[in-house]
Amino acid sequence: MPDLTDRVRRAQDGDETAFRELYDEHAGRIYALCLRLTGDAAAAQERTQDAFVRAWERLRSFRGDSAFGTWLHRLAVNVVLMERRGRSRRERRVTPASGEAVFEGASGGPPAPGERLDLEGAIAALPAGAREVFVLFDVEGYSHEEIAGMCGIAVGTSKAQLFRARRLLRGMLE
Amino acid sequence: MNDREHEAEFARLLEETRRLPRSIEPPRDLWPGIAARIRRRPAWRRWAALAAAAAVVLIVGRRILIGSSEGWAVARVDGAPRIGRTALVGTGRLRVGQVIVTDDSSRAEVQVGLIGRVEVLPGSELRLVAARPDAHRLALARGTIYAEVTAPPRLFVVETPSATAVDLGCAYTLEVDSTGASRLRVTAGYVELVWGDRRSIVPLGAMAVTRAGAGPGTPFVEDAPGALRDALTAFDFARGGGGAPAARTVLRAARAEDAVTLWHLVSRVDLSLRAAVYDRLAALVPPPSGTSRDAALRLDAPTLERYWQHIRRIQWRREILKGIRNIDPRTGRTR
Repeated sequence: MPDLTDRVRRAQDGDETAFRELYDEHAGRIYALCLRLTGDAAAAQERTQDAFVRAWERLRSFRGDSAFGTWLHRLAVNVVLMERRGRSRRERRVTPASGEAVFEGASGGPPAPGERLDLEGAIAALPAGAREVFVLFDVEGYSHEEIAGMCGIAVGTSKAQLFRARRLLRGMLE
Repeated sequence: MNDREHEAEFARLLEETRRLPRSIEPPRDLWPGIAARIRRRPAWRRWAALAAAAAVVLIVGRRILIGSSEGWAVARVDGAPRIGRTALVGTGRLRVGQVIVTDDSSRAEVQVGLIGRVEVLPGSELRLVAARPDAHRLALARGTIYAEVTAPPRLFVVETPSATAVDLGCAYTLEVDSTGASRLRVTAGYVELVWGDRRSIVPLGAMAVTRAGAGPGTPFVEDAPGALRDALTAFDFARGGGGAPAARTVLRAARAEDAVTLWHLVSRVDLSLRAAVYDRLAALVPPPSGTSRDAALRLDAPTLERYWQHIRRIQWRREILKGIRNIDPRTGRTR
């Protein structure tokens, strides 16, 4: 099995099979990210596709300064956030009808009774801004400075949104 | 819940978060869609994308540099909106003091600085009063707006002829009719309506009406019984005041879901009725532990505030978990 660097290099040269292998390896991770950021299964599938298409277009700019997965992950975050900003100018915010239904496709075995399913549903029900900061900080491990840069907000706003998200989640889960 | 219990709950939340799966398989194979798209993208589209990105950088940079000194960006959505007497074609700027007007078939969208947006629906007249980083203020003379704001509380304010709507982190629809009366419906967060010393707090899923000369009425939830709404209208706005009979009708019609209304009434009814209102509220939605009935009847602010936060939390859970959980309106807990 070729190593990741080799696959990335072949994909950079236009080898679609190599890119498919990269997709197979990273699709679950990127879909989970998109799903939690959007709180909507259909939107998450679209954003996952957008992220891989964007990755294909920008593969030549990937120089290996970080792991490919890290680069792809960051790119996917930007895809979701950019789409949300554009959409928020056009549409009213729509709260997902059912946070549980969103996660029907979750892998990793059945959820612990009343626990993970509750948390995933509650995350999906958060307001968009709070949800994004919570997912990026508490789930994905980005710093407030990184989140501020990606979301186009002040560091203080990121901290405030995280505080708000945690407070809301505690309220929903208690 | 005490501080230690809060900390334990917080730690449990973080622990659960850490246990979330890092990978979730998509419910269908997404590759065919990706393959189709990457095969049909010619090289020129990359350059087009780069050019578009450069244009975005220029526009955003200009917006940041120019900031609010030139007012807020506004865009035509439908029909023929005007800024003052000038037709708005495509996009423009709404400067402080200027009015955007929409006729029966026009709509526009105003970017509220960098914190949100306002849709101006048909038949509206909206003036920009202040556009500073610390004050985003509009005045709605007539018509309907939908506002969506992501900012710390009290940064975004809309004046109407009968009340001022102060954003506390939310989304809402606000209508003003030809008499200056308004109607507020909150769809996220909550809004404070103020007029003189009269104040109503309208949370998610609730509404309130205001009348010129009277200010904001008592808020009520969207599914409040008709009898309760009618009695509230009489209590808040009837000439000479609906007084005790209207208040008693509200008490009879109220359910646990109407705690938002009853909480407001505690401080609005005459002293002779206050205990009855409080007792009805406490029977429907028991107050948080440590709440003193005597303190509430004295209108002790911290006591009422603690009770309000309890009620607001229940109302929020009831709305946000609608269709997901069956929430007990007495406690806010899952049934």
